[in-house]
Amino acid sequence: MYQPKSGFFGKYKDEVSLNPNVGTWSWLLHRITGVILVIYLFMHFFALSSSIGGETTFNSWLSNLQTPLTHVLEIGLAAVVAFHLLNGLRITFADFFFLTKPHKTIFWIAMVIFVVFMIITLVVFLGRAFSH
Amino acid sequence: MNETPSKISAYGWLLQRITGIFLAFFLIFHFQVLHFTKAWKLDFSVVTQRMNSTGWVIFYLIFVPAGLFHAFNGAWQVIHDYRPKAGTQTAVKTLLWILGIAISVWGYYLIITFTKGA
Repeated sequence: MYQPKSGFFGKYKDEVSLNPNVGTWSWLLHRITGVILVIYLFMHFFALSSSIGGETTFNSWLSNLQTPLTHVLEIGLAAVVAFHLLNGLRITFADFFFLTKPHKTIFWIAMVIFVVFMIITLVVFLGRAFSH
Repeated sequence: MNETPSKISAYGWLLQRITGIFLAFFLIFHFQVLHFTKAWKLDFSVVTQRMNSTGWVIFYLIFVPAGLFHAFNGAWQVIHDYRPKAGTQTAVKTLLWILGIAISVWGYYLIITFTKGA
């Protein structure tokens, strides 16, 4: 009988080792990007809360946050958002329009859009980072 | 296998997709403005100027709870993978709802701080 691996990541190790397919990897990446986005959302709300202190407090927070380093990290944020958004739409389309059969094809179409978006983002963001 | 019965409801599944579609459109717009157009030049006046228009306020009034619902419902699905006991499930669900509503209210309060500035 199947005995699930123990430990915090046991379930994830099982899914990946027993079913190493596109669906599993995209599911895993969707989980990871989702958790990152929840953590980012908390940080986002925390930083925005500086507006309670008024214009001066808010502006000093923003100037501390708008550095070349954070703008490079922003590329990572764009990648996380883009993957979660595109893969999420793929899941929704598959569920709502009975597209579970071609789900792998749709995944690769989504990934082509992801790569195109990331090339544009890299050109714009890196160009901006080096011009400052 | 004596797993705890699933507490993932069909409403949770459906609402995750509905909020997801909303968020996809909203986030593209939000990201375009704040990370492309206005990047490197964000300050209080940039935000308050935008938050002075009714359209943008309505945008954020929907965006905040939709995003938080999606985030906490998603977190619930991750927690659910560990099949916590029925009692724990109820406790975690209650906690997530309280947190989600509280942070939504907090978000609405922050929206007000930006509309007052202009």
